[in-house]
Amino acid sequence: MARVWLTHPPPRAWGSAQARQAVRKSLPRAAQEEEIMDKKNDNDTTVPLIRLKYKNGDLIIKEGDYGISIYRIIDGKVAITKESEGKDIFLADLGPGDIFGEMTFLGRTKEARNASARACEDSIVEVWHPAKLMDEYAKMPPIIKFMTDQTLSRLIRMNKLIIELTTREQKKREEMRKEDPLNSRRRYFRKKVDLECNYRPARSSDKVRLSGRAINLGLGGIGIEIPVRNAEMYSHVKGDLLKIQIVLPDRKNLEIECRIEEITRNAGTEKILVGMSISAISPGSRKLLGFFLMP
Amino acid sequence: MEIENLLYAYLASEERYAPGEVIIQEGTMGDWIYLLMEGNAKVTKKTGKGAVLIENLKKGAVFGEMALLENLRDSRSASVVAGDVPVRVGILDGEKMVRDYESLSPELKLLFKALAGRLRKANSKVAALVVGLNQMEKPVF
Repeated sequence: MARVWLTHPPPRAWGSAQARQAVRKSLPRAAQEEEIMDKKNDNDTTVPLIRLKYKNGDLIIKEGDYGISIYRIIDGKVAITKESEGKDIFLADLGPGDIFGEMTFLGRTKEARNASARACEDSIVEVWHPAKLMDEYAKMPPIIKFMTDQTLSRLIRMNKLIIELTTREQKKREEMRKEDPLNSRRRYFRKKVDLECNYRPARSSDKVRLSGRAINLGLGGIGIEIPVRNAEMYSHVKGDLLKIQIVLPDRKNLEIECRIEEITRNAGTEKILVGMSISAISPGSRKLLGFFLMP
Repeated sequence: MEIENLLYAYLASEERYAPGEVIIQEGTMGDWIYLLMEGNAKVTKKTGKGAVLIENLKKGAVFGEMALLENLRDSRSASVVAGDVPVRVGILDGEKMVRDYESLSPELKLLFKALAGRLRKANSKVAALVVGLNQMEKPVF
């Protein structure tokens, strides 16, 4: 599996066919790679490179593989991801002009690739032969090395932190989703309540008046439980606007207009759960609601 | 040991900061590169919900280097604030640093620029994740 430069190919001229051959050999031999252009100019002062074309979804670098080539995006989009606990954690997305694969080159050359790169559009990338740069890197002013080493270790630390935080966020989201399927999509806290409410379609000439019970309430929305028979009198459809009137415990009337976001039938009961977001609220009602929600 | 001598050769001046004092302010322009010689410092990033601590710097840390690596493309990407003890920082000789940096090939400079750009993005992402998590853990009214 190891695809590492065992010997640095010592091509006489850096732009030579021999050097290009060496770059090609260093690449993982994926079937989807398609060479579209060789560097035409045989100029021995530049870093030898070849261009490769990847299709949307193709893996360019696989985490854990060995390789020190450096890639530059000419066209398209590439996502950098790292695996953690069986999930791909997204680290960065890169576009034309951006470089990737540089972390392995900069100081970690004996280690495997620590992240994957995948084309997320049809992309063209330039692959650099790293041997010449490596010589230069080894000889560069020590102060620059001292400084860039710190930048590199900071980036490695930050990437670790991104993985840790993303994993925590995903777990949290999962927990919230289990607790309450609607909650994970809410931006605001909802207070659990049990209040009587009346509602009617906001944009309908129907004189229908229905009632249910508000089971949660927040600044962003409301959840109400309605008896199944309500659906016989008016068909509740996602996206519908409803005018809702709720009597708060202090006997004050709260009036809001809401949009239906989700409708779920509670298994085994004769109740339907309607999740809604508030689409209009008067300043007075908003104040009432704010006071009501205060802990 | 060797690196210390080397760093001293690059020191142009020194500055002192009281605990909590701002050394670099995010969003301002500046190209000084600092070396933390005494004390500790915090790197913070602004977000819509206040500043988020993203890193602690210890003695020997170089900071402000992204301005050089990114050719001053943008303003300072994060703030550096003196920690809980008085801080002494060295300022590295800008001319000398630029001369050294400019001696590198365009390809190598491009690599470092990419590195600094990635760190800048990673810092923002960390700050956003921290804010998001806080929001999930503490309901917002």
